[in-house]
Amino acid sequence: MKKHAITLTVNGEERDLVVPSNRTLLDALREDLGYTDTKYGCGTGECGACTVLVDGTTSINGCLTLAATMDGASITTAAGLAQDGNLHPVQQAFIDNDAIQCGYCTPGMVLKVVSLLDENPTPTENEIRSGLEGSICRCTGYTKIVEAVQDASNRMAGVGE
Amino acid sequence: MTELKVVGKRVERVDVRAKVTGGALYAADVQLAGMLYGKIVRCYDYAHARVTSLDLSEAAKCKGVIKVLGPKDVTQKEYNASVLDMMVSADMRGVLGDIDDQSIFTDHVKHYGDAIAAVIAISEEAAERAAEKIKVTYEELPVYMTAEAAKQADALQFRPEKPGNLAFQLPEMAFPDNAYAWGEVDKSFDEADIIVEDTFYVPKQKQCQMEPGSYIALYDDQERLNCWTSTQMPKLVQKKLANLFELPMTRVRINATVIGGGFGARLGMVLEPETCALAMAVPGRPVKVLSTREEDWVTSPSRHPGKYWMKMGFKKDGTPVACDAKFENYKGAYYVDASGTAFTTGAWLGGMYKFDSLRYRGESYYTNQSICGAFRGYGNPQTNFVMEQMIDRGCAELGVDPIEWRKKWHKGVGDDGWCIGVPYNSCALDECLDRAAEAANWTEKREKYKNQTGTKRRGIGVAVMNHTSGAMPMLLEHTVCDALLHQDATVTLNLACSDMGQGSHTTLRQVAAETLDFAYEDIHIATGNTDAAGFDIGAHASRTLYVGGGAVKQACEDVRRQLFERAALELEEDVDNLYMEDKIIHVKGSSNKSISVQTIADQGVNNFMNPETGELIGQPGQIQGYASFFPPHNAPPFGTTIAEVEVDMETGEVKVLELVNAHDVGRAIHPGVVEGQLDGGAQQGLGMALTEETYYDDKGICQNNSFTDYKMFGPSDMPKMTNILVENPDPTGPFGAKGVGEAGLVPPVGATANAIFNAIGIQILEAPITPEKILKALEDAND
Amino acid sequence: MTSRVMRDFDLLLPESVPEVLELLADHKDNCAILSGGTDLLVALKFDYAVDNVVSLALVPGLDDLSFDPDQGLSIGAKVTIADIVKSQDVKTYYPALWQAAKVFATPQLRNTATVLGNIMRASPAGDCSLALYALGGDLQLKNASGVRDVSLDDFWLSYGVTARQSDELAISLRVPPPTAGQKSAFQRMTRTTEDLSKINAAVSLTMADGVCQSARVAMGCVGPTLIRLPKVEAMLGGAEITEDLLGEVSDMVAAEITPIDDIRSSADYRRKVAGILVRRVINLALTEGNNQ
Repeated sequence: MKKHAITLTVNGEERDLVVPSNRTLLDALREDLGYTDTKYGCGTGECGACTVLVDGTTSINGCLTLAATMDGASITTAAGLAQDGNLHPVQQAFIDNDAIQCGYCTPGMVLKVVSLLDENPTPTENEIRSGLEGSICRCTGYTKIVEAVQDASNRMAGVGE
Repeated sequence: MTELKVVGKRVERVDVRAKVTGGALYAADVQLAGMLYGKIVRCYDYAHARVTSLDLSEAAKCKGVIKVLGPKDVTQKEYNASVLDMMVSADMRGVLGDIDDQSIFTDHVKHYGDAIAAVIAISEEAAERAAEKIKVTYEELPVYMTAEAAKQADALQFRPEKPGNLAFQLPEMAFPDNAYAWGEVDKSFDEADIIVEDTFYVPKQKQCQMEPGSYIALYDDQERLNCWTSTQMPKLVQKKLANLFELPMTRVRINATVIGGGFGARLGMVLEPETCALAMAVPGRPVKVLSTREEDWVTSPSRHPGKYWMKMGFKKDGTPVACDAKFENYKGAYYVDASGTAFTTGAWLGGMYKFDSLRYRGESYYTNQSICGAFRGYGNPQTNFVMEQMIDRGCAELGVDPIEWRKKWHKGVGDDGWCIGVPYNSCALDECLDRAAEAANWTEKREKYKNQTGTKRRGIGVAVMNHTSGAMPMLLEHTVCDALLHQDATVTLNLACSDMGQGSHTTLRQVAAETLDFAYEDIHIATGNTDAAGFDIGAHASRTLYVGGGAVKQACEDVRRQLFERAALELEEDVDNLYMEDKIIHVKGSSNKSISVQTIADQGVNNFMNPETGELIGQPGQIQGYASFFPPHNAPPFGTTIAEVEVDMETGEVKVLELVNAHDVGRAIHPGVVEGQLDGGAQQGLGMALTEETYYDDKGICQNNSFTDYKMFGPSDMPKMTNILVENPDPTGPFGAKGVGEAGLVPPVGATANAIFNAIGIQILEAPITPEKILKALEDAND
Repeated sequence: MTSRVMRDFDLLLPESVPEVLELLADHKDNCAILSGGTDLLVALKFDYAVDNVVSLALVPGLDDLSFDPDQGLSIGAKVTIADIVKSQDVKTYYPALWQAAKVFATPQLRNTATVLGNIMRASPAGDCSLALYALGGDLQLKNASGVRDVSLDDFWLSYGVTARQSDELAISLRVPPPTAGQKSAFQRMTRTTEDLSKINAAVSLTMADGVCQSARVAMGCVGPTLIRLPKVEAMLGGAEITEDLLGEVSDMVAAEITPIDDIRSSADYRRKVAGILVRRVINLALTEGNNQ
């Protein structure tokens, strides 16, 4: 099997690695680079636990991406959202709105929300719900996640500050 | 009670910072030096077959393979993966008979996904590729997927000691006539003016916790068996593994990792036996076993499906005179906890309404389905689907309002609870019903939705439920807690209660802070290490806050008692004459006589002699509180859901518009945690009612063990949710709290079914209520 | 049953279309083309085995999504579903396609999956493919010896089988320019909001003075491939669309489909609701399907 030397910038840090052709981005992040914040939930792109951001804003499923096709890409995982010890507003909103229970979906979910709010900073409730499809949470019934997204949207717009 | 300072507050949960930054370590995230990977070879070709040959040789030659193991290469001891047998007395275990019917690897495949062999290799990829080289041939056996099929006279017997493939029925010893009953049912039906009766089907629902089964085991150089697992029950799994591998408990250690959801799927052992067997084969090397989603689906337990027959009789004035019911569940290939749900399904039924007489029979049949076991609600959702539809049918025939009827006839304080002989000691269901009815505009909407004619028709329905906080007196209830006071006057609690994400470590910490009158930040909960922690049953039966909280409270009271005793000595005052404020113990009425907790704690640890007097300064000895707590009751939570739906009469599609949940939670230690349990429970209850079922083809091959093919309610499907927390403190709960872990799932099931009944005037007897079933029922009604 | 680790294959990363075509010619059937990969990688985790995977990741010039009132819409091989959703031109002139793209799979998958990949998959359930089928279009298939155009009408041969030869790369799809009075819509039924369709329908109607000049009606999940409903189209063509006509159309649909039982629904149910869905999607096109 062919191996590929690639460079990924993960959470701002440039990482060189060699991956076999069949390595998914998910496994490259978890097994080769130690970013275990990116989770395996189903392996088939349904659950979104493996969601990462490309170029800071585009959400993709790490389980359905071949690492070798991502040479030169900039990847953000949940571990890279906080800046200088300060949580990203989306992360803080998830905490403040009790939107986290078992936490297994949470890294992918917060990244997805960062992406959602980048595309649409003031989404309606329906837009939030549609935008959350593809990130399965089995604990919260999504209610508090929706509230967290609304809260994050307000925070990022500076409402109430 | 004085004003509560920490209890009732929405404090930041203990675990969320690590979770939101991705730092929380789940079992699959743990990396150990020299890690090997195990891949279990399973039978996906048949649901029932004998292995006629097993050839491991090609696999053994594969690159990177360390060892290949068949049935004879691991312990031959049979086991029962459930832990229910450890929660009952020796006498009751005797009644259950031999229930150890599972083996690590089998030559008799009894369900799709049964384990045959395994490979240990240097990488996951090497293990997977080698596993594909294992050659197995089978002799196909007849497949029995239902109780009806399994109990046929000529059916192959799963276990000779369980004739008729009847794994369990309520035992004659405790249940005369094999029934959970009171009164004379047959006679009572003679007094009934109205009788309703039907046979329902309840589906095989999957927990779908987001973290698939992931395990690591290491048989280390001290000959100790270590297992990293996100089990809900570390202490019982420790004992089960000790039994299976014939080791003393001191040589088995569970490292309980962060749990990516449980809902019952991690109750007892899942793949701990297989993983530990692999580790025992390569001493000194850790072995990691990671399940695919599909594999997790068929190896961890599901909710019990089955046929559920029920008959109810009422007098014209609405008096419920008799209820007769039978639940035959399709247990699956192994016994697991066949006794549990078979009983509790009837217990919830018996605990709900004041029938003059009631008789329930519960039977578990071996089938060639993957195993069933615990799933949030434990029989209650099945009963809710059936019982609540039957009540609404009765109400329709009686011409009475379903809420008014329920308010009049539900059981309450002083009535026998779900366990006959243990009366309810608190119940605020009337308030729940009143407040939910008001919030949902019940009366107005019931009126409005009469005589609809359009394509889209709306309906509103109600259901109620009773549940439990812990399984006392049916099962052992016991939690041990140590509370260690550090020299800086902070406290570490050491206990084995696990937090599946529901927030129990947060609420336990709140209970500790409140009891001690310390700050929330002064408390740390140490869990996850069975070497250190005392006994705990584990997280099930909505018990962690109620029983674990009781243990925490008692241990913290012990700390407080010791603090006051020492303060009394130091201050030369009577204990009763002291009070604490801001962690300083004062003498009542004396402004200058006081000693700080900090001083007592520090002197307890750093104790020195006064060189001038030769006396000790302060009281020596680190203060440690201790509780070995057995709860006095089971503090039953009650609750109701009112559901509003819209049915498309042309397509049978159902849209859930709104759920109003009102629950008697005793006290909400953390309202956000309680709301989260109700929201999440509702998502699973709606799924059971409308979309979720694992199914098999006629050969027993599972058809939808994936998120592609098994659909749960997603963010756009979830309705508007209103949660009403009714706080009516239970006299036995910590600060009055009751368990809420399961309650939220239950009444949305019956309420949704009843809302559909209200909308279309027809009851659908099989869950999930799919558009296909609705359309067929509508057509049948028009024929 | 999926594997956690995909079986071996060689990932090939050509940097131009000619290089792609060369590789396709070399490897023929023992080769899969990877664009978005959201179907291919799942298949590779199941039982699909292939020795070579040719990725389009580094190939420039395939991500063009352009609209011209006279030329129509051109969709390059690497245009994603998300690109379609973001396109104001698609939303305005091809409502059926935009509606299908909007509900297609999940946001993450929309960011990766491509329109042409959906067509190549030849699934009888594909949402975007179905909308395009109703709108009509020609695929440009290119191999080392040249380019040929294949109409979508002739492209799907049977389940998972297309008219693409193994040495051909689908470069782009051209959708005809919108005509005056054209109205289109897409609608589907699923078990939950995020799901593969259990039945879907798309229409493109050309209306003039309240009369339907011509109609293209396509359905999914009711046969081994996406299908058109010629009898229904004939009933609509030249007719004033009244509730009565829609009732007749609805009754006719069942005669034109051959659904099966599967995990998402039953043949019986599909037969019962197919006509209703067609009626509804026509009404949707008439009310909200304007192409301006």
